[in-house]
Amino acid sequence: MWTEKYRPRSLDHIVDQEEIVNRLKSFVKARNVPHCIFAGPPGTGKTTAALCLAHDLYGEGYREHIMELNASDERGINVVRETVKTFARTRSIGEVTFKTLILDEADNMTSDAQQALRRTMERYTETARFILIANYSGKIIEPIQSRCAPFRFTYLPREAIIERIKVISQKESLKVLDDGVEAILEIGGGDLRRTTNILQTAASVGKPIDAETVYSVVGRANPYDIREMMLTALKGDFVGARQKLRDMILKYGLAGSDIIGQIHSEAFRLNVPDKWKVKLADTIGEIDFRLIQGSNEEIQLSALLAKLVEAGSEITRGQ
Amino acid sequence: MSEVVDNEDAKKAILQWVQSWDRGVPKKRALFLYGPPGTGKTVSVETLASDLDMELVQSNASDYRTAEAVERFAGRASQYSTLSGKRRLILFDELDGITGTADRGGLAVISDITKKARSPIVLTANNAFDPRFSSLRNCCQLVEFKKPTRTEVERHLRKICSREGIEAEDAALKLMAERTSGDVRSAVNDLQALAQGKTSLTYDDASWLAVRDRTDVIFNVLRGIFYAKDSLTARSTADMADVDLEMLFEWIYENVPYQVKDPKELAAEMGMIALADVYRARIGQTQNWRLMRYFVDFMTAGVAASWSKRSAGWVPFKFPTRITTMSMSRADRAMRLVIGTRIGRKCHMSAAQAAREVIPYLRVIFQNNLDMRNGLAQWLDLDQEMTEYLAR
Repeated sequence: MWTEKYRPRSLDHIVDQEEIVNRLKSFVKARNVPHCIFAGPPGTGKTTAALCLAHDLYGEGYREHIMELNASDERGINVVRETVKTFARTRSIGEVTFKTLILDEADNMTSDAQQALRRTMERYTETARFILIANYSGKIIEPIQSRCAPFRFTYLPREAIIERIKVISQKESLKVLDDGVEAILEIGGGDLRRTTNILQTAASVGKPIDAETVYSVVGRANPYDIREMMLTALKGDFVGARQKLRDMILKYGLAGSDIIGQIHSEAFRLNVPDKWKVKLADTIGEIDFRLIQGSNEEIQLSALLAKLVEAGSEITRGQ
Repeated sequence: MSEVVDNEDAKKAILQWVQSWDRGVPKKRALFLYGPPGTGKTVSVETLASDLDMELVQSNASDYRTAEAVERFAGRASQYSTLSGKRRLILFDELDGITGTADRGGLAVISDITKKARSPIVLTANNAFDPRFSSLRNCCQLVEFKKPTRTEVERHLRKICSREGIEAEDAALKLMAERTSGDVRSAVNDLQALAQGKTSLTYDDASWLAVRDRTDVIFNVLRGIFYAKDSLTARSTADMADVDLEMLFEWIYENVPYQVKDPKELAAEMGMIALADVYRARIGQTQNWRLMRYFVDFMTAGVAASWSKRSAGWVPFKFPTRITTMSMSRADRAMRLVIGTRIGRKCHMSAAQAAREVIPYLRVIFQNNLDMRNGLAQWLDLDQEMTEYLAR
């Protein structure tokens, strides 16, 4: 995949994020790395930075000295206790005396697991340094935050992304028209990983890439439309809206948290009276909380759709 | 009538009584046949009428039995002779079905007709000793139909099988006879449902009936909840019925939108169901089964209480499709996670994230471009099955 093929290998090759790169380079020079938290939105180079740091620190054989864990795959305390401990306690051979553990999606760890992690970090700090990667540093418990150097990653600016698109297009001998670039930027947002995936998918069509090509492949990749579902409910068709919801969850594998996030952004853009926007916000919040607590996604979101149906009928009746 | 399963004494009594009419109007002008369902009450009368070449006039539970309705169909019939010269036999079938209000006065008219009848009258019910029938009983001769034994039912089924050219496993017929506890009609219906048009019947075929049963029971419980007159009744319906509560929940969740049309009430109902779901999650997390009662509260009483604007028509219940889709996609989801793991390993992501974010794009690439597909399949170490899944 092009996201891997064109991932920078060394800190020197990283696009943008100058300040962060400079700080990391100073760690490499000093041959010492503190525990770190890399926080920021998806696709902004956090994992890349961690891997490049490891590469520059340990050289070509860096894989021997690092371990990559993803908290979403292995969330519980036991994983932290067993896997991480085993890794952390053995000494490293070579110039750099510690190993590096890269823990991705650390903000998805339960707080119990995070407590266990903190103790491990403390005990084995001689032999292992931790780089925690997260979307929201606020979800990392305070004792860990205080032991880590914080790094804040932000969305890449337009120009940086356009540059990447141009570089990849050239290497892959693609023709990308201006409106194609615009379309990719619009859908990709500042997420370089998503942008690259869109580019690769558009390229698979085999024609010069224009806006239409981009929209068509993205449409086929993500044929759901949350706004459409909400409008169906507002119009009074509960069963139709519920079916769309089901398709999103069961066929396209969308998570409840994704759906409710988008519902939240769409809700304020709906053409409904303010009084209803507030009621909906209340319902959305309540349901989001319930989802976090572990209630069933489809059932809870259905209740929200029913509220939209109610809103729609009251609005048409002129209340 | 001799082909009716068992109850020889009963059949004899019926025959004798009908024949006594040849010698003049007997003291008791009506016969009251009673016994469990499917034991042969109705069919005995029907076959007898055919055997003796009598004209059979029959009503049953689905006809209104108001005084007018009864008078209309049976009043004349009981008084005057037939045009053809054949003798007439009047059958009031399934009297248990008479309700107090809808069939107002019907019982009283039946009583009247029975006292003055000039043609033989037969009544059937499951329970002749229901207080409603006390005055009616006095003018009737009572004949009891007993439940046939399981062996008798089995024998009857075997007879049908040999006549229909069906080779049935003993175990299958035994299972079917056991299930219906004496209800021959139900057993025969089951046999027809399973074996009509086939030449063999195995035990496995017969076990499907258990699935069908659960649906019937669920239907009754659903009716009890949706058409309950108050929340207490709705709640007790679920208590009394022996249904899987999770299943019941799915049925209710699926069907509320079809039954409840008013938007405000629909929102309230879906809210109740959502509350039930919250408790379901809490039970799962705390393993505290005491909370189960709140789960049931919201899905039964909560649902019944929020619904008042009921339409007159009857909307059929739908099977919860969510269950079938969920089990179909269980395999799908497993596949997605496996592929996601392979992607995650190479692309530094979790399996779940890869499944959500990369697979949709991968799918399109696999469909569009053979070269890219092969290259990626190799790089990701995907097997044939996974590649086909993505290229679908």
